[in-house]
Amino acid sequence: MASAHIEHRNRKTMLMAFGIALGMLGLGYASVPLYRIFCQVTGFGGTTQVATEAEADLAARMAQSAGGVTYSVRFDANTASDMPWTFRPVQVTDTVSVGQRDMATYIARNNSSVPITGTATFNVEPEQAGAYFNKIQCFCFTEQTLQPGQEVRMPVLYYVDPKALDDPNMEGVEQITLSYTFHRAKTDS
Amino acid sequence: MATTADTFQAHAEDHHHDADHKPSFFARWFMSTNHKDIGTLYLIFAIIAGIVGGAFSGMMRMELAEPGIQYLHTFATWFGAENPSMDEALHTWNVLITAHGLIMVFFMVMPAIIGGFGNWFVPIMIGAPDMAFPRMNNISFWLTVAGFLSLLMSAFMPGGTGTGAGVGWTVYAPLSTSGSVGPAMDFAIFSLHLAGAGSILGATNFITTIFNMRAPGMTLHKMPLFVWSVLVTAFLLLLALPVLAAAITMLLTDRNFGTTFFDPSGGGDPVLYQHLFWFFGHPEVYIMILPGFGIVSQIIATFSRKPVFGYLGMAYAMVAIGVVGFIVWAHHMYTVGLDVNTKMYFTAATMVIAVPTGIKIFSWIATMWGGSIELKSPMVWAIGFIFLFTVGGVTGVYLSNGGIDNYVHDTYFVVAHFHYVLSLGAVTALFAGFYYWFPKMSGKMHSEVLAHLHFWVFFIGVNLIFFPQHFLGLQGMPRRYPDYPEAFAQWNEISSLGYEITVVSIAIWFVNIAYAFIAGKKAEGNYWGEGATTLEWTLSSPPPFHQFETLPVIEDKGHH
Amino acid sequence: MNLGDIARKRLLFSTLGTAFVTALTAPMAAFAQEAEEAVIEEAAPAAPAFEHYGPDMIKGQPIDGAWNIQTQYSPIGHEGAWMHNTILMGVMIGISLLILFLLLYVLLRYNKRANPVPSKTSHNTAIEVIWTIVPVFILLIIAVPSIQLLAAQYESPPEDAVTVKVTGYQWYWGYEYPDHGVGEFVSNMMPEDEARAAGYPAQLAVDNRMVVPVGVPIRLQIIGADVIHSFAVPSLWTKLDAVPGKLNETTMQVDEPGIYYGQCSELCGARHGFMPIAVEAVPLDRFEQWVASRGGTMPGAEVVEAVVEDATEEPAAEEAVSVEETPVA
Repeated sequence: MASAHIEHRNRKTMLMAFGIALGMLGLGYASVPLYRIFCQVTGFGGTTQVATEAEADLAARMAQSAGGVTYSVRFDANTASDMPWTFRPVQVTDTVSVGQRDMATYIARNNSSVPITGTATFNVEPEQAGAYFNKIQCFCFTEQTLQPGQEVRMPVLYYVDPKALDDPNMEGVEQITLSYTFHRAKTDS
Repeated sequence: MATTADTFQAHAEDHHHDADHKPSFFARWFMSTNHKDIGTLYLIFAIIAGIVGGAFSGMMRMELAEPGIQYLHTFATWFGAENPSMDEALHTWNVLITAHGLIMVFFMVMPAIIGGFGNWFVPIMIGAPDMAFPRMNNISFWLTVAGFLSLLMSAFMPGGTGTGAGVGWTVYAPLSTSGSVGPAMDFAIFSLHLAGAGSILGATNFITTIFNMRAPGMTLHKMPLFVWSVLVTAFLLLLALPVLAAAITMLLTDRNFGTTFFDPSGGGDPVLYQHLFWFFGHPEVYIMILPGFGIVSQIIATFSRKPVFGYLGMAYAMVAIGVVGFIVWAHHMYTVGLDVNTKMYFTAATMVIAVPTGIKIFSWIATMWGGSIELKSPMVWAIGFIFLFTVGGVTGVYLSNGGIDNYVHDTYFVVAHFHYVLSLGAVTALFAGFYYWFPKMSGKMHSEVLAHLHFWVFFIGVNLIFFPQHFLGLQGMPRRYPDYPEAFAQWNEISSLGYEITVVSIAIWFVNIAYAFIAGKKAEGNYWGEGATTLEWTLSSPPPFHQFETLPVIEDKGHH
Repeated sequence: MNLGDIARKRLLFSTLGTAFVTALTAPMAAFAQEAEEAVIEEAAPAAPAFEHYGPDMIKGQPIDGAWNIQTQYSPIGHEGAWMHNTILMGVMIGISLLILFLLLYVLLRYNKRANPVPSKTSHNTAIEVIWTIVPVFILLIIAVPSIQLLAAQYESPPEDAVTVKVTGYQWYWGYEYPDHGVGEFVSNMMPEDEARAAGYPAQLAVDNRMVVPVGVPIRLQIIGADVIHSFAVPSLWTKLDAVPGKLNETTMQVDEPGIYYGQCSELCGARHGFMPIAVEAVPLDRFEQWVASRGGTMPGAEVVEAVVEDATEEPAAEEAVSVEETPVA
């Protein structure tokens, strides 16, 4: 029967179209983790890299051939407007040799009269430096709860990957800024 | 052939038993499964939505006519605020821009050009008796209506600073999440869900219809360009809208269920929302303009009495525009803090779109070249379209430059650009299509004199509105501002004057419609003469309730 | 501009103040922040007053009835203006006029009366290839300078650029000079009557301007505190979004002293239209005065202290590190 044939074909096309739409819907949701992974892998948007001790050692050895090139590193601290903390780096700028581990310290203090939990977001500028800015340990993303008036020091152990020297996009970059923002954790409200 | 025709009729068999029998008023207009009736419903709906959206732009142009805040407090009371504070009044401004944008995009241009003309003429042009899924067609329409109502309702609900959702049609997080407390935003988002669902169903319907229901001999490469344009548009809808649906659903859960997809306090990234939105948003621009390309191609060929020049190039230029449209989205986000390589890529990719667009414009002119041009009203509108779209196109090339965008991003130059492409481009194409097909749809001839007058008043009006906005943008006036420094006063005044002229042109249009129904001559089957060669001209005006009981067979010479 | 010169001048000027600050901060390492804030608060009234420019120095602002871009006052602005005026305006006007001409021509030449019998031509491969290739070439002509302009905008600021941290709030801006010890101050729109009375453009004038030195690169670091804002100064060809949770950076440089106005350029809620930006560019010595009036000091303080008399080329790295160790330990 021709009619059954056409209806069958129509249903098939419809299902394929719905399949495409559902696939795109899925992609929309999947983009959240995919984007995060993409940023983490490529340093897109100034996303910093996470390195192990072993990788850091390797970078330090590699750096010896780089002949002590240095970068200035700036530390930037922010709090979201609903966050009653003061948050600042101990030192605004520092100079590090490529590949050398260095430690920076931030200080956070809860100025309110209630315990507050915060989480930090971070990025580096210029954006292309993200792929080469490695953190060995830091406080990012672990939720921190500060009691009223409590002040803590938060260390960041980092190094700049010597591969930065081979990247033409890093030419002319003299200073890398590491920026943190403390937000009030959503679980805290 | 006849057996195939029966097949199509089977869908509607519950209601109609023969071509002349029409269902009762309620069944015909509220439970309609007839593509022409649904097309008519879409057109009427789009006109109503257009009046509402146009009224909002009128309120905006009133407020912007001179420096200072003159009317916003009054407008705020219309949305239910009592003794509105300054902030509530200013919030009302943001509600106006949001509602204007969303209404014009989702409830005026899309329903008119795809739902209205697409439904009416795609089945006829490919020689099909109806759409593939007539009942789904009905659902699409009523989902769109429900979406519109949801958006209108949102304007009267608490939206944070004042009543209504005041975030712009782009609904950027975090202004739309933590920055807009109250149900208004949720209802606005929900309205996009409804409209989006309706459009996805509609797109599926068009794709199935165009792929499976073409009359014998109507190969893909013989389809009229309007059908091609709707096919490409349907694919864009199918690929882009689900991404929007995902993005705005995540907004909803961020707002109401404690997720942090776009909220930095939980590791989310507000910039990702912009990526998702514009992954939808840029193809959306082509969704609005491509069917206009199709309409203009039909009209230019008809009134030049020549086949379209470079038919295949025209069809595949639209495909190319559709494909490239998916890989240029971040040119809407040049100032968000992209790295240099990303910006260079998006600059180059965006410029590429100028090539297929140029092919289309040159091909239209080449179609006229050597023709025997008859300046009937649809042709005047179509030629107006080509010029206005060219102006919008060259400013598009200008804006594609990432380095230039540092200056003009989010200024009135951008507003002028996209109104030249959409308000002047897509809407001009809509009017062209309207005058081309109105007698076909209604069976009554409109007045050609009024149609020409409508064109010239409209042309002067919209150019007066939007051309000075280029200057405002170049002088640095940011968009979405309810008030401005005195230095922007002169061009704003002219722009508001242009709005008044445009309103007059719309009044002429309504008079013309009324004239047609009251005193219009009866339209013949092919009232445009020998230049009109597509299948709708083989039918009476209006076409029978069920056309093509016997499927037409398309001769080898083709119909483009 | 020779940056080394500026740096050295700064060193000389601020030696005294630096010694004072260093002496203060070293023993109270743990309370450094509070101590500094206290110093600022106490010093502020005593600090030398700084006289801001008046309306006669307004350079970057819109002009009523003008149709082109604002006059540019920065190196990147000159490049952008050239791109705009020479390349893009020509292309835009040229193409629009070409299409207009072609449309008018076909209407005159091929209307029904002039050409009653239409041709049946619907293909011409040669012309189709031409109108594909020619636009490609035009785009290439645009793309080359366009990419150069883009690259120039991404030149990273040098290490000793003057750093200004800009924070967007609903609905005002905050400016901070981390290298100068100038803590964040808030910049609100000046009430319109007050602005008019003082001769400033209403809705552009602010109570506290962002003050920068002329002729040197400025490292603008921009972030949002609540929703997305956008920091924009048209006459300096600068526009960058203030995104919450993500710092953005760009380089800005002002050619000559003056006041340059801008406005928030990303919808940020009710008073989006009322959080203007005013940049006051001043010669370096005036900038130093301004920093002092804000209770800050010019950077390089630590360097001077460590090097003492030997002002030759000791790498900055070591001083910075040695200073760091004092407070952290």
